[in-house]
Amino acid sequence: MSSSDSTFEGSDKKESDNSSASNYECNICFDVARDAVVSMCGHLFCWPCIHRWMTARSGRMTCPVCKADINEDKFIPLYGRNTTDQQDPRKKVPPRPQGQRQESENTNGGGFNLGENFSMSFGIGAFPFGVFSTFNVPDRQGHYGHGHTHGPAPNQDEQFLSKVFLYVAVFFIFWLILA
Amino acid sequence: MERRLRKELTNLIKDPPDGIVVDPDKISQNITEWTVDVKGAEGTLYQGEKFTLQFKFGSKYPFDSPQVMFVGKHVPEHPHIYSNGHICLSILSDDWSPALSVQSICLSILSMLSSCSEKKRPPDDMFYVRTASKNPKRTQWLFHDDTV
Ligand SMILES: [Zn+2]
Ligand SMILES: [Zn+2]
Repeated sequence: MSSSDSTFEGSDKKESDNSSASNYECNICFDVARDAVVSMCGHLFCWPCIHRWMTARSGRMTCPVCKADINEDKFIPLYGRNTTDQQDPRKKVPPRPQGQRQESENTNGGGFNLGENFSMSFGIGAFPFGVFSTFNVPDRQGHYGHGHTHGPAPNQDEQFLSKVFLYVAVFFIFWLILA
Repeated sequence: MERRLRKELTNLIKDPPDGIVVDPDKISQNITEWTVDVKGAEGTLYQGEKFTLQFKFGSKYPFDSPQVMFVGKHVPEHPHIYSNGHICLSILSDDWSPALSVQSICLSILSMLSSCSEKKRPPDDMFYVRTASKNPKRTQWLFHDDTV
């Protein structure tokens, strides 16, 4: 099956002309990063890009480049010399969906609320809400390497399990209210 | 999405890595479907062989992985590549990251070919090919920790 493809031979220049400009490109959209932020592992993104990735993958927040753990609170905004807009880019995008912090009448404010970024706050309240906050986090690790079997989704059991937990928690809340 | 794809295309044409050939004429009509030729590396079981990969990009690319498979008559014989062209490779599903690109996917597939020590089909090839959907992204792959 060997055919002579001339375009192919003699192309042993690899990523030679990586101009310095591309050092400042977002690792997701490949454009010069706007509203630039850098993760603790040193990887540069547009805030809208990395925010979208973090919201798309709830619970499994790893750096798209190096798989280090990332956290919304631990990004550093970058301001160039002529940046007129000194607003923290992280404030520009709507905060994460509200799903993870339901207010309830019988929590007394959830203890210390350290502002909008403090997402774990309701875990401190009454016990059943502690249950809520933990089982929302899927504990799937990345599957590295490859294999050749295919079948049902590997996390079906986990999904079932979290549903069971959900029902137990809901039941428990009802029980608390009725008691 | 289109902007990033155009950028990737320009870079691949301007500066293609060894073993990867993109024919811009085949892509220009529709930026969301590419075919890319990959060539088995020297000194490997696939030396001298040429294969064609098909990429289909959804509107969520790069937040969602593209659909990637081998097309054409010549599908490499490999323990992780089914005879219908589907590839069992974790970065194409569970381990996808928006920092990956067409180039890095091609390089991963090439290195998967290069590290192969015996040309054979996956053990469940017959069954899979009969039952699988056309779209490899529909398959729920289970990835084991065997390295090949
Ligand atoms: Zn970006
Ligand atoms: Zn990183």
